[in-house]
Amino acid sequence: MSTAAEPRERQLVISGWAVSSPYGLGRRAFAEGLLARTAATAPVDTVKWPVPYEDAGLIPGFDIKEVLGRKGTRSMDRATGIAVVTVGELLEDFGRGLAADPEKTGLVLGTSGSVQSIMDFTKDALTGEKPYLVDPARFPNTVMNCPTGQSAIRHTLKGPNVTVSGGSATGLLALNYASRLLRGGHANALLAGAAEEYSVQRARLERVADHGGAEADPLGEGAALFLLESGDAARDGGRQVLATVLGSRFRAFPESGRAGAALARCVEEVLADAGAAPEDIALVAPGTPAGLLGKQEESALDGVAGERIAVRPLVGDATAASAAFQLAAVLAHAGARPALVDRLALVTALDRDGTVGATLLRLG
Amino acid sequence: MSDRTAATGRRPAARHRVVITGLGVVTSIGTGVDAFAEGLRGGRSGAKPISAFDTTGFAHSNACEITDFEPEAWLRELPADELGRAAQFAVAGARMAVADGGLTEADVRARRSLVSVGTTDGESRDLDHLTGLQVAQGEDTLDPVVARRVWPGRLSAGIVRELGLEDVETVTVPTACAAGNYAVGYGYDAISSGDVEMALCGGADALCRKTFTGFYRLGTIAPDVCRPFDADRQGILTGEGAGILLMESLESALARGARIYAEVLGYGLSCDASHPVAPDRDSIARCITAAHANAGITPADVDFISAHGTGTRANDVTEVGAIRQVFGEDLPRTVSIKSMIGHTMGAASALASAACALALREGFIPPTINHRTTDPECGVDCVPNEAVEADLKVVQNNGLAFGGNNAVLVLGHWEDERSAVA
Repeated sequence: MSTAAEPRERQLVISGWAVSSPYGLGRRAFAEGLLARTAATAPVDTVKWPVPYEDAGLIPGFDIKEVLGRKGTRSMDRATGIAVVTVGELLEDFGRGLAADPEKTGLVLGTSGSVQSIMDFTKDALTGEKPYLVDPARFPNTVMNCPTGQSAIRHTLKGPNVTVSGGSATGLLALNYASRLLRGGHANALLAGAAEEYSVQRARLERVADHGGAEADPLGEGAALFLLESGDAARDGGRQVLATVLGSRFRAFPESGRAGAALARCVEEVLADAGAAPEDIALVAPGTPAGLLGKQEESALDGVAGERIAVRPLVGDATAASAAFQLAAVLAHAGARPALVDRLALVTALDRDGTVGATLLRLG
Repeated sequence: MSDRTAATGRRPAARHRVVITGLGVVTSIGTGVDAFAEGLRGGRSGAKPISAFDTTGFAHSNACEITDFEPEAWLRELPADELGRAAQFAVAGARMAVADGGLTEADVRARRSLVSVGTTDGESRDLDHLTGLQVAQGEDTLDPVVARRVWPGRLSAGIVRELGLEDVETVTVPTACAAGNYAVGYGYDAISSGDVEMALCGGADALCRKTFTGFYRLGTIAPDVCRPFDADRQGILTGEGAGILLMESLESALARGARIYAEVLGYGLSCDASHPVAPDRDSIARCITAAHANAGITPADVDFISAHGTGTRANDVTEVGAIRQVFGEDLPRTVSIKSMIGHTMGAASALASAACALALREGFIPPTINHRTTDPECGVDCVPNEAVEADLKVVQNNGLAFGGNNAVLVLGHWEDERSAVA
């Protein structure tokens, strides 16, 4: 998507962010842990989580009822809880004024839903006294837009409410979806990002997935969300421009060995659209997938300048939330280093099912 | 619709007009555009006893199941067991849409494109199967072939891989039962803004135990057939299938002399932000109005409405109430093709979009079948039981979903002889 020709006031900017991660709830814990390069994955309590993994990147002590209270949380699953909490944090810290126009404020959330909720529901149907004696209050949890819809309900977001999914590229796809909605005039401001939950069933399913011929990384969880609006709207709302979204590019690769070439094309095109050069890039937050895909990413980024920020090795494989975490990591670095203002940052993603993507930002 | 050109020029961002030039449909009343069109015109019913899973213990168990689908007939590149049933439907739909649009795979590969597929359940049918294995053989039992294909991203990725696309943005849109309209709307914005030249958009879902059980438990599964807007309606029948629309810019369609089914005039989105499953009248009305504004039309332009029309007590009254709120007492005819193909979940509004495109092209309004007495609380002309011939200019397609997610799409008639002012 080209934005180079766009007047500055109509460019889309990120004017707020929130994160719930294996470092804990909130931006501060995330930024501190990430900048200090502290590993957030730890040995998992396999009594509570009977999973085929030794380590996990869990949000420490995350308990939905403790964070959100008892009201309306009886049937809430972990994916939904994480999304609702993170959306709440974003609105609380950056949403001043948005509440006045709930119909023009919406949410584009990347998630694969909760496989745990889906399988638990079916299990109840298969093991109950009657095949239909399931808890009806848990039925909406088995539909993948539950975290998105519940976040809107809890925080009164009446604008577009969209759920997107695309494996490791999900966060970048969500940001691009939100950008199109804003340019199409469907909203004034959108919260965009992604959420992922840790669960026993996800761990079982991920265990047998294709990890590029390598051992699977520990799984992580959490959410990162960004407030996306026009530069004008941010200034009118008294919000600081944290980054300008210069554009995103996506391509598909037919086999893993060609993922690098596809990603290199994405990077080339997103730079060309923005009238920028590889040497202008100050920060790169790659997806660092395991195995062959990771090697393909390295080769694609070979000629790209800029300091590499590794996120996945610290927080684990957060699948749907991974690219959103990478974007959050860029903002964490930018927040700590004023010298990065006006410099470019690149976030890349490679998904095992064939999608690569690159998003380019101008910081500050 | 003399104001359409002006309307299209209303927003400076809308640089390209967007048209539908190919349809791919897999449904319980027919697979392929001709069979589907015949089914719609003939008021065919897809209702039958469920064979997809064991229904012992349920007092009633009809659904609009597809019993004649052969994945091997459509998959040329991917082995069938790499894809769950929903992705197989999606891939078959995409192949059909490309062929129906008069294109080869190479033609699509040569253009920058978008593939967006909506879904409610993704591959929940496979998750049912895996859960069944765990219950029967132990918690740690897993079928790795099935386990690898359960993620929703594979619905859209399957199309991309099967067609060998590379210059493409690939996204699955699991926004529940309005997902098809979301996916088509996304394609409209992507083409209209000039980001892509072509898009394959729609929705897909496969029948599964999980969803049947959930609706049954809510008391919303009809014992025999689905009767939207009928005084004696008793609920939905679950269904399955896929609808994929080939969309492109008007310039592209005209340049290659493509047959145009319909123009996408615009769409609207809204969120109830009130209740996870009960639809909200005001919010649906707001969504309809947003769609009209985006399309540059007024309610008076709409020739018929393809309703979400699930056939539950609550949905139909609330939905018609919302339509009345926007249109006043003079309602256009309001039909539900769910009476024929059941509630196909994430495919529902995509298949309804395909039906609307066919209706615009061929000049008919599909019927609402199984109809006996119109519920006075609904009070719509639902075109009972028999399709009617009609000269149509503008059609509105409603999609409503769990989570309070509403999406309304507006399609317009394309006249071949009209001068091409893009």
